[in-house]
Amino acid sequence: MASRTVAKDIITLRGSAAIVSEFFGYAANSILYNRGVYPEESFAKVKKYGLPMLLTQDEGVKSFIASLTAQLSEWLESGKLQRIVLVIMSKATNEVLERWNFSIETDGEVVEKGVSREKSDKEIMREIQAIMRQIASSITYLPCLDEPCVFDVLAYTDKDVAIPFTWIESDPKLIANPQMVKLHSFDTKIHKVDTLVSYKNDEWDEQ
Amino acid sequence: MILRTPPPKKQRSETRDPGSLLVASSDLPLVIYEDPPSAAPPPQPSSGEHLLCTYQCRQMVKSDFFDALSCAEKQVDDYQSRSKALEENFSKVEAERKQILDRFLDSEQELAAAKGREQALQEQLLKEVNDFQERFKKQIQSQSELEVKLRNEMNLRLKADASKASAEEKASIFERKLSNLSESIEKEKKRLHNEIELLERDSKLSVSRKSADLERMECRAINAEEESGLLKEQLEDLKKQLTECMHQKSEVEKKLSSFTFQEASSTDSNILVKHLQEELRNYESEVREARKLRSSRENIELLKEKLSEEKGRRERAEGELSKLHEFQMSMKKLEDELSSWKLMIKEIPGVSCSEDIPVKFAALQKEVIDCMMKEGDANARLKQMEVALDAVQSGKHIAETEAAFAKEKAEESKSEVKRIEVMLSMITEERDKLRDLVNEFKRLKNDEAGDETVSGTLIQELESSLAKKESCIKGLESSLHEQKKVNTRQSEEIKLLNERLNNEARRIKSLERESDRLRSEISLLESKLGHGDYSSANTKVLRMVNTLAVDNEAKQTIEALQNELQKTKEKLQAVEELRSQSGNAGKLVDSYISGKVVQLKEQIATLEKREERYKTVFADRISVFRRACCELFGYKIVMDEHQRANGIPVTRFTLQSIYAQGDDEKLEFEYESGNTIILANDYTSQPEISHQVDIFIRKLNSIPAFTANLTVESFNRRTLS
Repeated sequence: MASRTVAKDIITLRGSAAIVSEFFGYAANSILYNRGVYPEESFAKVKKYGLPMLLTQDEGVKSFIASLTAQLSEWLESGKLQRIVLVIMSKATNEVLERWNFSIETDGEVVEKGVSREKSDKEIMREIQAIMRQIASSITYLPCLDEPCVFDVLAYTDKDVAIPFTWIESDPKLIANPQMVKLHSFDTKIHKVDTLVSYKNDEWDEQ
Repeated sequence: MILRTPPPKKQRSETRDPGSLLVASSDLPLVIYEDPPSAAPPPQPSSGEHLLCTYQCRQMVKSDFFDALSCAEKQVDDYQSRSKALEENFSKVEAERKQILDRFLDSEQELAAAKGREQALQEQLLKEVNDFQERFKKQIQSQSELEVKLRNEMNLRLKADASKASAEEKASIFERKLSNLSESIEKEKKRLHNEIELLERDSKLSVSRKSADLERMECRAINAEEESGLLKEQLEDLKKQLTECMHQKSEVEKKLSSFTFQEASSTDSNILVKHLQEELRNYESEVREARKLRSSRENIELLKEKLSEEKGRRERAEGELSKLHEFQMSMKKLEDELSSWKLMIKEIPGVSCSEDIPVKFAALQKEVIDCMMKEGDANARLKQMEVALDAVQSGKHIAETEAAFAKEKAEESKSEVKRIEVMLSMITEERDKLRDLVNEFKRLKNDEAGDETVSGTLIQELESSLAKKESCIKGLESSLHEQKKVNTRQSEEIKLLNERLNNEARRIKSLERESDRLRSEISLLESKLGHGDYSSANTKVLRMVNTLAVDNEAKQTIEALQNELQKTKEKLQAVEELRSQSGNAGKLVDSYISGKVVQLKEQIATLEKREERYKTVFADRISVFRRACCELFGYKIVMDEHQRANGIPVTRFTLQSIYAQGDDEKLEFEYESGNTIILANDYTSQPEISHQVDIFIRKLNSIPAFTANLTVESFNRRTLS
């Protein structure tokens, strides 16, 4: 039997940044849909990563996520982005209920020297697909969000990053004594993204 | 086998022995014995002379022959019995030899099996040795890594010890400072106590003084009041006297003035003048006293005011006294709190002043957290050590069991070797026995010439087989010896391996401890990561300003402001256009504006005309409509707008039938949002009309029927009348 060799694609820094920022956009939409932050009817189905993905049609949210992903892509290309956190808070009390943590490890050599790496696009898509499936299945163990919620996105950057005029410094919006669930990760050989969700202990679980 | 064929007989002519025996033979002719001639030379016999014998010789020979025969027969029987015995022995020996051969073959098989087992054992041992060597190499590598880590940890530990020592020094310094602080606090406390006592005393003294002053002032006030009363009376008297004196003075002056014209000098007038002057002086003195009284009265009033002020101050002082008690209580509480805080501060080292407390608390908290972390790490390492120890002990047990198993196998092989040696010794003994038997058999067979050759060949064969066995036995002995050497070497190697196992077991434990520690560190870091902790020295957290958490009202206000901005921009543009159009003179603007005003006025006039026209047309039309309604339905309808008590506007219709006999016959209805209600009045309260109202409106709910019925009745009445 002849052995099958996987064809590898060349990944550049810009390409990897685009992949990661796009992934975050779709992941954020998926989280907002699955956690019920916005009503189901405000989402439309599209095909991405070999899966039916849901994207919001709310113009405000759309523009917010678009501008966000553009800035994240810029920071990823400069290698200054360490982490992205999507925070879900109670609208009434502003209490943080969930934190979706996307940790990013950047290959410094690629940023400094501008070299490229090789990895199969299909492999990357497969890894992202696994994460999206896990996000969709997270509703089985995450506590129900019974009250109206809002979301916000925090970016953990290097200390020497110049703050754009549409961004401000913020507190990390932590959860006291959270429960944590580690999800899969994906690697473009330039950026490695680890996913982790931490959520407030449900009162029923504590009982 | 004894040969039956005897050897060929020697001829007599050749040899003659006097004592030679005769061997009976069936084939050979009979040879008669003759005494050997002692000295006589043998006669030259003829061919038949030797066959000649005397009768005695024949009988003697015969008897001798028979004796010899019997002896020979006996010997033959003996030899036969011996041969039988030998044959039996030979068969036995053969059987034994077969047994020995079988045993030999078994022993060879066992030897081969033992060799195979030894080879297998050797292979196993070689494999184990190779495994151990590989593990040893790996563990040497891990040991080197661990040594490096150990050195790093030792350095860290030294650093931690140094930091601990410095922290202890700092703690001692801070304790000293704290003791100084506590002393200063005590001193201040004492000072404050003394000051408080002094203040209390002062306050008491001042209170007592004030009370005394108050009393004095009260007494003074009372006295002053009494004096003022007396003085008032005096003043009034004096005033009266003053008026009288003034009156008298005026009279006297008049008199004096009249007296001045008279030049008559009389002593009485002089005396009277003097009296009057004295009275004047008295009166002036009384006036002065009255003024003094007045001033004293004013002073009294001032004193009264001061008294009231003092009373107020007294009340305030009493209130402050009560407050002083409260302050004392609060002071006591504060002192208790101070003492408790002092105790707390004593317990917490490293505090010089109150401002340092939170900073030191934060630093101590950080140190506590670090120490807890280190303690957790140490505990984790301890657990790792214990776990690795247990694992290596189990490995050691396994290795010991394997070594014991190998030892048992070696012992088994040794026992087998011993068994083989024993068998060899037995075989050699049997071989010796066989050799003895063979030698005996040889000796026996030497007597019997016919069987000697047969026994010799048998003996040779036996000797050859024996020689082969001896060679085999020697080979076995040599193999045994070699095996013993191999066994000793293997036991020594096993001992070395056991020692190495023990060392490697220890290294494995330390490795496992290290791995558990690293796992705990990883879990701790992951928990920190999941919690969201970060290093503020390297990282900052940013968020977008224009988040979706902003209310939509802000967006709406922004949009509204933008719209207003656009409108103002448009207005501004229009104004600027106007200004640009009116560039030079204001006259053009005025004319333009006046033209616009005229146009607007004309429009207004036309609109007003239209409105009036519409009103007249409407009035005409509505009057026609009303007249038509009146003639068609028989009622004059008047519509008015009224307001109810609650302020709600309501349309009121007043209907008067054309057949009504009086102006009082009016029906009043109220219309509101599609509902028409009949109102009560004098006309509807009449029994006939009310009866109809009940039937048609209230029961049948039909106002047209009621009005129609009323019209018919009033028509009938009219026509009848």
